[in-house]
Amino acid sequence: MKSKKYIINTLLGMFFATTLFIVGCSSTQDVALAKSGAQLWGENCVRCHNAPSPTAFSDIQWETIGQHMRIRANLTAQQTDKVVEFLKMAN
Amino acid sequence: MSKVLKYTLMLLVIFFISETLFAQDEEDFEDEDGVEELTRQVNNFKPGLSRFLMRGYAHAGIEFLQDRTTFVGGSFNPIFLWQQSERLLFESELEIELTEEGTELGLDYADMSYFLNDYITVRLGKFLLPFGTFGERLHPRWINRLPSNPLGFSHDGQVGPISDIGVEVRGALNISHHAWMNYSLYVVNGPRLNSGEVEAEEGGQLHYVNYLDNNKSKTFGGRIGILPLHDNSLEIGFSGQYGKVGIADTKYEDVGSQLYAIDLSYVTRLDFMKSMLDVKGQWNSVRVDDISYPDPEDALQNYTFENISNAYYGQISSKPAFINNSFFNKLEFVGRYSKLELPSQAVWGGEDTQITIGINYWLDWRTVIKFAYQTLDSNGEDDGHSALAQGDAFLLHWSIGF
Ligand code: HEC
Repeated sequence: MKSKKYIINTLLGMFFATTLFIVGCSSTQDVALAKSGAQLWGENCVRCHNAPSPTAFSDIQWETIGQHMRIRANLTAQQTDKVVEFLKMAN
Repeated sequence: MSKVLKYTLMLLVIFFISETLFAQDEEDFEDEDGVEELTRQVNNFKPGLSRFLMRGYAHAGIEFLQDRTTFVGGSFNPIFLWQQSERLLFESELEIELTEEGTELGLDYADMSYFLNDYITVRLGKFLLPFGTFGERLHPRWINRLPSNPLGFSHDGQVGPISDIGVEVRGALNISHHAWMNYSLYVVNGPRLNSGEVEAEEGGQLHYVNYLDNNKSKTFGGRIGILPLHDNSLEIGFSGQYGKVGIADTKYEDVGSQLYAIDLSYVTRLDFMKSMLDVKGQWNSVRVDDISYPDPEDALQNYTFENISNAYYGQISSKPAFINNSFFNKLEFVGRYSKLELPSQAVWGGEDTQITIGINYWLDWRTVIKFAYQTLDSNGEDDGHSALAQGDAFLLHWSIGF
């Protein structure tokens, strides 16, 4: 019984937080979304491991790795596309 | 006379123009043929929408422990990625490892991700759990800045889950001018409680390998990560996981578990030191509802204890990557404090404290040689409470990501 209460509380808490954030984000998205692929690469691809060298992989390989990292790093589709476009240009 | 000259000149001009045009046509014709041929050849190699990529990592090393010196590792983790379309990715990682018994093969993860839209991804299968960040993001040998894992964060003496089988929804959202949030919610089999009926000295421990669930109830969990700074350098995460852990149709059936984790990551460039700074930390707490277990010292008696375990670590590393010396800019200095607290009244209880300091040499962004010195304090006992903690040690490992 106790654990049911915990589950419900957590789910409610998360739902509430998510709703709050979605509402909060709708008007202010543009600034954060304006970052270039190179900037997103420099900021995000160093958070867990060293920044990967663009020349390490081919265009096609980067596309698959992009999907892999989109999941691992919780990136949005837009962020991923921009980083992958940058890596494909710089490799 | 001048008229004749004019007409002649005009004729000549027309002749030359038509001549050049005709020649060009001929060339164009040849070019078109070439282009067609080239297009055909390129099309032969055009990749389809299904892509396959094999990556992974490997490591080996030598360890100077108190009672022996041994080469270790030789482990190899191949990662298989099948990109079926722009929306569907299957990922899997195997772990092939040499142990005392021989070669062991493990399945670290095997799951399918479907990108529902920009902000929501659904995952099914066996996946690394976003319970904190060490298990999901930092454990691969070429990513972990030290040759050992923090206490309580590897399969021996584990406090908190690393992977499980189930369903997950995850994604990221832009929450303000420059802040991001990522989220994950999952339902999995959850851990299994060792009731101590077979191994009395393990009664009350949670086992995180529960691939055929021992009961009907499912375990719920999730994590929220906040990246409040404009350059995404800081992330703070909160995780929770709840579920029943006892075997169905026994007195343990309704025993619940509540697991919490807080994690932190800060990675930034320190211009005044021409360095990268990397701070990581995580605190895991695991609580199991009170119930009695067979007393290992007296088979006819039961005993009970407050079943709360904690494991936490803090790590700081710095790499002078921007100085103008090709030897020093590949070095990295790391320090980590790690602590494991198991229920003091349980027969398997106790406390371990570990301090590890290390120097790494990076051959490139994914290949590293790690050298570390590690001390262990186990409240006066010789061996630590997690099988991996073995007193003071020098560790020299090399690892490579593919
Ligand atoms: C949240 C942590 C995290 C972030 C942020 C991150 N990665 Fe990774 N990356 C990992 C992990 C963990 C692995 C190891 C693979 C695994 O565990 O499945 C990895 C592996 C890789 C690999 C090796 C090939 C592969 O797919 O396994 C490449 C290349 C890579 N990452 C590139 C990137 C790029 C580019 C970015 C920036 C968009 C990025 N990473 C951001 C965690 C991260």
